[in-house]
Amino acid sequence: MKVDRKETLRYLGYGRQEADGQTLQLLEEVAAELEADSMPKSIYREYGCQVEGDKVLFGGLAVTSASLARNLKGCRRVALLAATIGRTADLMIKKYSVLNLAKAAIVQAAGAAYIESYLDEISAEIKKDAQGRGLYLRPRFSPGYGDFSLEHQKDIFAMLECSKRIGVTLTAGNLMMPSKSVTALIGLTPARGQSCQMPSCSQCGKTDCEFRQEE
Amino acid sequence: MKFKDHLGKELLFFDGAMGTMLQKQGLRSGELPEVWNATRENVILDIHKNYLEAGANIIKANTFGINPFKMEGTGYTCEELTQRGIALVKRAIAETGKKAYAALDIGSLGKLLEPLGDLPFEAAYEAFRPVCVAGEQAGADLCLIETMNDTYEIKAAVLAAKENTSLPIVVTMVFDESGKLLTGADMEAAVAMLEGLRVDAIGLNCGFGPDVMKAFLPKLRQICSLPLVLNPNAGLPVVVDGRTCFQVTPGDFAAIMKEIAAEGMSILGGCCGTTPAHIQALVSACQGMPPLQVTEKNRSVVSSYTHAVVFEERPKIIGERINPTGKSRFKQALREKDMEYIYKEALVQQEHGAHILDVNVGLPEIDEVEMMRKAVTGIQGITGLPLQIDTSDGAAMETAMRLYNGKPLINSVNGKQESMDTVFPLVAKYGGMVVCLALDEEGIPKTAEGRVRVAEKIIAEAAKYGIGKKDLLIDTLTLTISTGQENAQVTLDALDYVRHQMGVHTTLGVSNISFGLPQREKVNTAFFTIALSRGLSAGIINPGSEAMMAAYHAYCALNGSDVQCADYIGIYSQQPGAPGAAPAKSGEISLYDAVVKGLAESAYQAAKKELQDKEPLAVIDGDLIPALDHVGQGFEKKTMFLPQLLMSADAAKAGFDAIKEHLKAKGDDSASKGTIVIATVKGDIHDIGKNIVKVLLENYGFEVIDLGKDVPPEDVVKAAREHDVRLVGLSALMTTTVSNMEITIQLLKKEAPACKVMVGGAVLTQTYADMIGADFYSKDAMGSVRYANELFGA
Repeated sequence: MKVDRKETLRYLGYGRQEADGQTLQLLEEVAAELEADSMPKSIYREYGCQVEGDKVLFGGLAVTSASLARNLKGCRRVALLAATIGRTADLMIKKYSVLNLAKAAIVQAAGAAYIESYLDEISAEIKKDAQGRGLYLRPRFSPGYGDFSLEHQKDIFAMLECSKRIGVTLTAGNLMMPSKSVTALIGLTPARGQSCQMPSCSQCGKTDCEFRQEE
Repeated sequence: MKFKDHLGKELLFFDGAMGTMLQKQGLRSGELPEVWNATRENVILDIHKNYLEAGANIIKANTFGINPFKMEGTGYTCEELTQRGIALVKRAIAETGKKAYAALDIGSLGKLLEPLGDLPFEAAYEAFRPVCVAGEQAGADLCLIETMNDTYEIKAAVLAAKENTSLPIVVTMVFDESGKLLTGADMEAAVAMLEGLRVDAIGLNCGFGPDVMKAFLPKLRQICSLPLVLNPNAGLPVVVDGRTCFQVTPGDFAAIMKEIAAEGMSILGGCCGTTPAHIQALVSACQGMPPLQVTEKNRSVVSSYTHAVVFEERPKIIGERINPTGKSRFKQALREKDMEYIYKEALVQQEHGAHILDVNVGLPEIDEVEMMRKAVTGIQGITGLPLQIDTSDGAAMETAMRLYNGKPLINSVNGKQESMDTVFPLVAKYGGMVVCLALDEEGIPKTAEGRVRVAEKIIAEAAKYGIGKKDLLIDTLTLTISTGQENAQVTLDALDYVRHQMGVHTTLGVSNISFGLPQREKVNTAFFTIALSRGLSAGIINPGSEAMMAAYHAYCALNGSDVQCADYIGIYSQQPGAPGAAPAKSGEISLYDAVVKGLAESAYQAAKKELQDKEPLAVIDGDLIPALDHVGQGFEKKTMFLPQLLMSADAAKAGFDAIKEHLKAKGDDSASKGTIVIATVKGDIHDIGKNIVKVLLENYGFEVIDLGKDVPPEDVVKAAREHDVRLVGLSALMTTTVSNMEITIQLLKKEAPACKVMVGGAVLTQTYADMIGADFYSKDAMGSVRYANELFGA
């Protein structure tokens, strides 16, 4: 799995612009180190799911969230997934925060791009398994999106046994460590027209975001 | 028979999984299995009985997930459920009439320890302690610490068990396909640390089935001097129709375990997916087979949280630079608690090829214990090199050893009774290798024989604590030849004898040899080379010295430890002169251009040149600040971007360093434009944005006091009042932590009303900043500079 250079530059704020030679050189060094040392891990489990009004029920958990309910409308099954690229990125940030802050900022961006690429890979795997059963994927939806409370991270971590299986833990404030980690729900729907190929910024309400993807 | 006496006498069998068995009985996803010790006792009791009937002679109590964090909100205490869990095992043993041991089962806390996570080491220790105590009180025969993937957490658990109970301790860990723990430690590092902590048995559990685990065992048997344990899963977890299953059958499981037992194992059992049928098959296949013959491997090894360093044919480099002796800049850093300066020294030595780093932070006017704590925990957070703890203060030594993530090297003990009485008990408790100075109450022996005698005395005393020769590094003491030319010979003769006749590893503080002579490096290098050839196992040197490192690499090529001279060729075949040197730029670049282009080294040189003709303030106002302004404007207009901004900031910093040096030489201390306190608020651990702001503010001449991340409101107020600042900067990334920002601002307004607050962070908006009472908000780092300049009227 490679670090997506273009996405990394987008996270650094370059948008459509060209990056200078020095930055590109640092980016190559960072990408090489991340690709060599990272240990990506993931786990996912599938559950039956029910959506009633703004309540979503799956795996014995009840979540009240209008935005999640909207995302999962029409889904009878849902995949719950947790993924991380490991602690290499965090260790690199710590190291470069002392030695070369520009590089540390690039690691931050590259790490974000890397976990997103990893998630796309996992989604593709889930998609293949689902298609065999006539199901299509909804866009990924994570705690913290819309009104889907971050408190539910605790529940997700217990259900997936994240710390034991993939070595991801929660801080007291519900932040994940290693930091380049993601938990998400992927709704599985029999209605093909309601599926979505790839999640994109079009789903998000912050239209003035500096890092918004060009359509 | 007691467990410890039984271990090693015959092959023993752990039981199998509890968690997966309970899932079949209706345990829901996310439900705590340990609560069933109170609500569904009979289910637990039956499972224990089934395993006993299957032939298991060690039963793991249903206590794996019991810790204060997981028990919160359940209505049960750790003590209660632990007591019930052990009682159920003992009841099962009594009611089946089988002979078996009850194991207290301790799993991971599910939290990440500092510095990467937010749980302090001592808090982890405190979380394990009540469970260990309750387990022993309830009658457990041993303590199993399992499914661990973090050496630091393992250490906290082992110490909690060791210091609060007298239970035998078995530790099994989860390794991934590449043979590493999730936190990065390889098998050698984990084994080194655990043998140092004197646990009773070590092994692997969970993660894979026996077929995959088998591959790791030859290496484990080769390096480990303790009994070995294996509790594999019934294969890899497979998702079938959305449900997780383990598919290896009892027969297949037992067949592979039998092969493993034939190669040598002390205890066998099962983890996730295994059932009484698996254990029955296992016991049938392996009962009566001889257990592993445990032998002492005599490895001289230290470790960090990632890897081990073994003392053997190839000598090792111990970097000496983290030491205040004779370094006024370092002393200043210690007084100012400038940890970044120390971290940089660590990383630079690592880049130069040091294998181990000496850490000495002893200065009379500071709190050495506190500084040692900060230094060890901080340095092991940014580098994976093992550390040499260098102090003569017993309290500082213990603090460092307790918090060290791995098996440390201790510098030092000597032949004086008081020294040995202080150091050896600590080594027996925490593990470690020790540098032993060949001097005692009678002083430094003048002859080689005299030094050897002191070495023998130290070795004999160490043996009383169970510390073997393998864990000692004898320093036969380097005295300068300018006070006696025979000094070199005495040192070297003693060294040779210790290494080759006594079979103990050696070390020397090489640079002492040339004290008082001109061009010391020449003498140091020659002495180093000779010492290497006479049997020096590790040299404490400056890895930044090219001459010394060249001698080292050449020696390794010559003595064959650098096979086919591969490393030597790799380093020196690039070009004549310094390896990896950047080609010299012809023509000079102005300070302004160097900063704009982000060239740190050039900026430093250019600044020095400017200072020859211009006043420092003219250089700052005429070149540095305009360059930074240019880059800052480019950043705001989106013609330049974050990486360039930071490279320019780095270059400007280099320019400022040149100015600071210049002023110091003139006896002047540059007045700063003002002091600012910055912090990432409580609950938030993201700090890269804050670090960027800090660098920019410093560039523009402000003194910045960085409180770090996850900072409680009271600490921010305390710092603001202590330093009497007019401006505080707060950063937060998350909606959930930004409420702490509001609390911090309110507290500041109450306790330090003259202080202004500026805020930043991805989660903030102008609206929210206004709502919480911030005086200024900016969506990027440059904004903070503008506001600070305005506020301080610069």
